[in-house]
Amino acid sequence: MATPDSSIGAKLQSLPRTLLYLILLLATSLPLIYGELAGGVSVPNQPLGAAVDFYAALMKIPPGKTVLLETDWTNSTRGENGGEFDAILRILMARGIKFAVFSTADPQAPQVAMDDIATINALRVQKGQKAYVRWTDWVNLGYFPNSEGTLNALAGNLATAFNGKKDVKPGGGLVDVFESPVLKGYTKLTDIPAVILVTASATSTVMIERLSGKVPLDFMVTGVMGPETQVYYSSKQLEGLVIGLKGVYDLETLMKQGLNGQGPDAVPSQKYAGLDVPPVNDNLGTGKGSAYYPTLHFALALLILAVIVGNVGMLLTRKRTAQ
Amino acid sequence: MSVETYRFIKLTVGVLATLGLYSALYRENKFYRFFEHVFLGLAVGYAVVALWTETLYDLWWTKMMGSTAAVGQVATPGYWGWIVLLPIGLLGYFVFSSKNNWVSRIPIGIILGLWSGQQLQVWFTRYGPQMVKQMVPLLPTTSELFHPVTTGMTPAQVATVDSTVYVSQAITNIIVTVTFISVLSYFLFSFDLKNRFLKNATTLGRWLLMIGFGAIFGSTVMMRFTLLIDRMYFVWIEWLMKAILHK
Repeated sequence: MATPDSSIGAKLQSLPRTLLYLILLLATSLPLIYGELAGGVSVPNQPLGAAVDFYAALMKIPPGKTVLLETDWTNSTRGENGGEFDAILRILMARGIKFAVFSTADPQAPQVAMDDIATINALRVQKGQKAYVRWTDWVNLGYFPNSEGTLNALAGNLATAFNGKKDVKPGGGLVDVFESPVLKGYTKLTDIPAVILVTASATSTVMIERLSGKVPLDFMVTGVMGPETQVYYSSKQLEGLVIGLKGVYDLETLMKQGLNGQGPDAVPSQKYAGLDVPPVNDNLGTGKGSAYYPTLHFALALLILAVIVGNVGMLLTRKRTAQ
Repeated sequence: MSVETYRFIKLTVGVLATLGLYSALYRENKFYRFFEHVFLGLAVGYAVVALWTETLYDLWWTKMMGSTAAVGQVATPGYWGWIVLLPIGLLGYFVFSSKNNWVSRIPIGIILGLWSGQQLQVWFTRYGPQMVKQMVPLLPTTSELFHPVTTGMTPAQVATVDSTVYVSQAITNIIVTVTFISVLSYFLFSFDLKNRFLKNATTLGRWLLMIGFGAIFGSTVMMRFTLLIDRMYFVWIEWLMKAILHK
């Protein structure tokens, strides 16, 4: 019977799985707790061009206009999409831009979005700011079961695509959404200054196929979708793009600093030199990006360490076998 | 029940569900199974209700039935033509009939026909701009290495600078073009090649694809970590520190 290999190389390659999970748990918990107790930890950051374009595009939308906000994510991707959605809500609310929320990916998505809107609204009220009122400032168009059909209809006629959809009017029950101040007077897709998509699914591709070139598109996607979505930004099919946690942190940095501002943390941008792209001072505190991004570095450091340990173990084992 | 109590119960159930699902990392257990089934049941139950409230009622029933006038609302006429969709949709359930399951192909055929009809336009909308952007100049039009800073320049000067191909841009364009051609050749020439140039091009294409897959994998790992961090934030910060310790 063969005796088990008890060399250091073999041990390094077969660390107990439970131990690795425990270390990962600590690496992802302790920095979070420390960050919360310390009131936030900042990591030096240079926002990517795609996120800068996204922010600049939002900042040029006139207050009072309405954007379409397609929300195709649920709590399963809250880590990335939640931070993205929080950031977009904070920007829209701070700038007084109205929005109409809808989903073509998941029936749960509109409810998740409404929960998030309620959270941000509560924070605004807590900080003495005006609450964003449903019906007056935003409407929920709900879930549409077929992304291709819905977005195709939207490309053809905005009024037809959302025909029959009702939302809650304070004191008035369910009323046609086109009666609301949010969508009143909007009939064509070209009336809308931008369509923003927060997604964890392939609806990004469907939107490109159906709406690209007809209206400015701005996407917020998960890290997994980043490389495949980047091509649409590179070919100018997207106005701006926010990818995963790094994108959220970029956006939160821009919300804090604006573009071409003053100070050591200023974000310079040659592309927007001379244009006014100010910060969003909503005083709502740090977002999820700022809370999670430093912790991600610890998790990645652990991953790199594990790869090194595994490879050192493999080399030691090979050397021992050769001897 | 106060809002605070309800919120605390909701968060606590969320924490239990999180722990239950992560307990599978230790080993398969009943705690994990229970929450897995709760999760599936909730998702299916929610989808069934949403099917009526968000889809059939709004997009089909009210359009077919119309509405009567109410306070602050005008009456809308009903269009009975929408009823045609019901028997067509119900044909789909013939898939469960061993004798007449061919009938289910009728609604599937209609959907496929609608989908196929859109594909020509859809394909070009998706790939057309990418093909156009692929046509990039490979030779620099100046000996200067980098795109200069345009701050303080007049619009005409900025336009001139933007239309100039600097050496660094030309190098980038060459990398893009070589990647495009070699990856394309990898898929086109997937048979045994005798020509050495084509063979090297396909090998380069395979390597570049691997780099691309590596970038995707790296992004995937980062995303999975972020999802874990979010769960830890939920457990430690939202539940423990804010809901229990009121920090």
